[in-house]
Amino acid sequence: MIKKNRFAFYIVLLITALLFDVSIVMAGARTVRVAGSTTVLPVVAKTSEMFMAINPDVRIMVNSGGSGVGVKFVGNGLADIGMVSREITDEEIKNFPESDFKVSVVGIDAVACVVSSEIYDSGVKTLTKEQIRKIYSGEIENWKYVGGPDKKIFCIDKERHRGTRHVFMEYVFGNKNARAPGVDLVSGSNNEEQTKVALSDKAIGMLSFAWINSDVKGVDIIEDGNIIAPTVVNIKNGLYPIARNLTLVTNGVADGVVSEFIDYILGPSGQKVVAEEYGYVSVK
Amino acid sequence: MFQLNRFGPARIIFASSFFISISIIVVIFFFLITNSLPIFYLEGWDFLTGTHWYVGEVYGALPMIYVTVLVTLLALCFAFPLGLGTAIIASEFLPERYRLIVKMVMELLAGIPGVVYGLLGIVLLTTTVQRVFNLIDGNCILTAGLLLGVMILPTIMTVSEDALRTVPKEYREQALALGLNHSEVVLTAVLPAAAKGILGAVLLSTSRAMGETISVMLVIGSLDRIPSPFFNIFTTAQTITSKLGREASEALGVGYHWNALIGLALVLFIMSMGMAFIGDIIVVKEKRV
Repeated sequence: MIKKNRFAFYIVLLITALLFDVSIVMAGARTVRVAGSTTVLPVVAKTSEMFMAINPDVRIMVNSGGSGVGVKFVGNGLADIGMVSREITDEEIKNFPESDFKVSVVGIDAVACVVSSEIYDSGVKTLTKEQIRKIYSGEIENWKYVGGPDKKIFCIDKERHRGTRHVFMEYVFGNKNARAPGVDLVSGSNNEEQTKVALSDKAIGMLSFAWINSDVKGVDIIEDGNIIAPTVVNIKNGLYPIARNLTLVTNGVADGVVSEFIDYILGPSGQKVVAEEYGYVSVK
Repeated sequence: MFQLNRFGPARIIFASSFFISISIIVVIFFFLITNSLPIFYLEGWDFLTGTHWYVGEVYGALPMIYVTVLVTLLALCFAFPLGLGTAIIASEFLPERYRLIVKMVMELLAGIPGVVYGLLGIVLLTTTVQRVFNLIDGNCILTAGLLLGVMILPTIMTVSEDALRTVPKEYREQALALGLNHSEVVLTAVLPAAAKGILGAVLLSTSRAMGETISVMLVIGSLDRIPSPFFNIFTTAQTITSKLGREASEALGVGYHWNALIGLALVLFIMSMGMAFIGDIIVVKEKRV
C-alpha cells in the first residue's frame, strides 16, 4: 500500500517537473504576441511563418478578435503588436493614458458591399451610397426597388466593434457607429459573414475586398455618376471610396524582434504577401 | 487501494484539490459580483428590464435574458419527449446488451464539442429550416432551439434512464401480478416512481442548454431584440451566451461595457446554478430512497 502511495507521488512529481521544463524552454525563445483584426490576420499569419523559418529562435503567436481587441491588448500589455484595420479612436487613447500607440501602415484594404451571387446575376451590379443607406436603415426592403428580383432583402450587419463595419458605416452613414434598423442578422468575422452571404440567395453585406469570390460578389459603387468597381487598380489610385489602411500598432517605438518583424512585413517579401496572396494593396 | 494516512501525501493532495475546487467557485461568484456592480449603480433595475443595448450609451439586458429562456424552453420541447422515450425503451424494453449500446452511443453524443454542432447547424440546419418554413433566412431562434435540443438529448436520456433503473424491481413485479401488461406497468408503476429523477434530468439539461455558447452563437443571428410578437421563433435574436461570446474580448476589463457583460454573466450564472442545484437536490434525494 505504501509503495503504491509513493508511486503516485513520484508520478505527480514527474509531471510537475515536465511542465516546468516546457515553460522554461518556451521562455527562452524570443516571442512576439500579435492580436487583433481578422482583416490583417491572414497577412500577419503568413508572414510570421516565413519570418520564423528564417529566424528559428523566434516564436510569433497570432490571435484574432477584431481591431478593438488589437488596440486593447497592446494597451494593457497582452500583445506586442495589435493588428488594427481602422484609425485608433480618441476613446481608446483616453482608455490607455500610459500607452503611446505607434502606427505602421502595412497595406490598404477596400471594404466591398457584397451581395449573394443570385442577386448579382439577376441584375444588381451597382448600388449608390443612398441605396445602401436606405437598405441598411430599413427604407428599402425588397430587391425590386434597386433593380433586382422581387425578393425580400436579407440585410447582414457586423458586430459593432469590427473595423470593417466602421469603414463601411463611415462611408454609408457618415458615422462609424451608426445604428442600422434595417438589419436582419449580425455576423462576426469576415469568414462568418462570407458563409452567411454565400448560403443565402438574397443577402447584402460588407466584406473586406479579399473575401470576394464567386458566391459572394462585390457590387460597383456609383459615386458622382461614375461607376467604380472594387478592383485593385481603383483602390490603388484612390478612386474606390470605401477603403482603409491596415496597420500594426505597438506601444511606443518598436524595438528588438518586434521591430524586426514589422520591418520584414514592410520589406519586399512581406509586401508581396500583402499584394499577391490576399489581394490587398501594398504600400511600397 | 490508497490508504488515506492522516498526514500521508495522498491525503494532502486530495485535501488541497478539494479546497481549490471550492475556492474556484467562490472566487468566480465574487468576481462576477464585484465586476458587475458598476452597471447596477449606473442602470439600476433598468439593466434587467431595458430593451436597448448600445455600447457607450445604454445597457438593457432583457432581450438577451428573455431569448435565453425561450431558446432553452424550445430545446426542452424537442429533447424531452425524445430523450424520455429513448430512456423508457432502453431501460424497460431492450435486453441488457442493446441497452448498454444505446447508452454508450448517447454518452458519445454528449462528448461532441459545441462548435462541431454549431458548424453542422450552419451548414445543414439553417438551410433546412429556411426551406421548410420558407423563411428569409435560417438563422433564427427555432434553429438554435433545435440545435440545443440535440445537444441536451444525451443528458436527458442518460439521467432519466438512470432514474428508471433505480425503481425497485418489486414495483414492476407487483404491477405485473395485478394483471397489467408491460406498457401499463411502465406507465402506471415505473414512470411515477421515477418522476423525481426525470425532473432532475430536465433541470440538469436546462442548465447545460442555458450555458451553451458557441453553437448558439453561430446560428441565432445575434440581433439584440425581443422577437415581435414575443412568441415569434422565426426571427434572429441574441442569447446571453452569444452576446458574451461576441463582445467579451472587445470589452475586456475596461469600462461599463465590461461591467454590463459581467452583469449578464451573473444573471446567467444565477439562473444556471439555480437549475443545476435544484436538479442535484432532486436527483440525490431520489437515489437515497
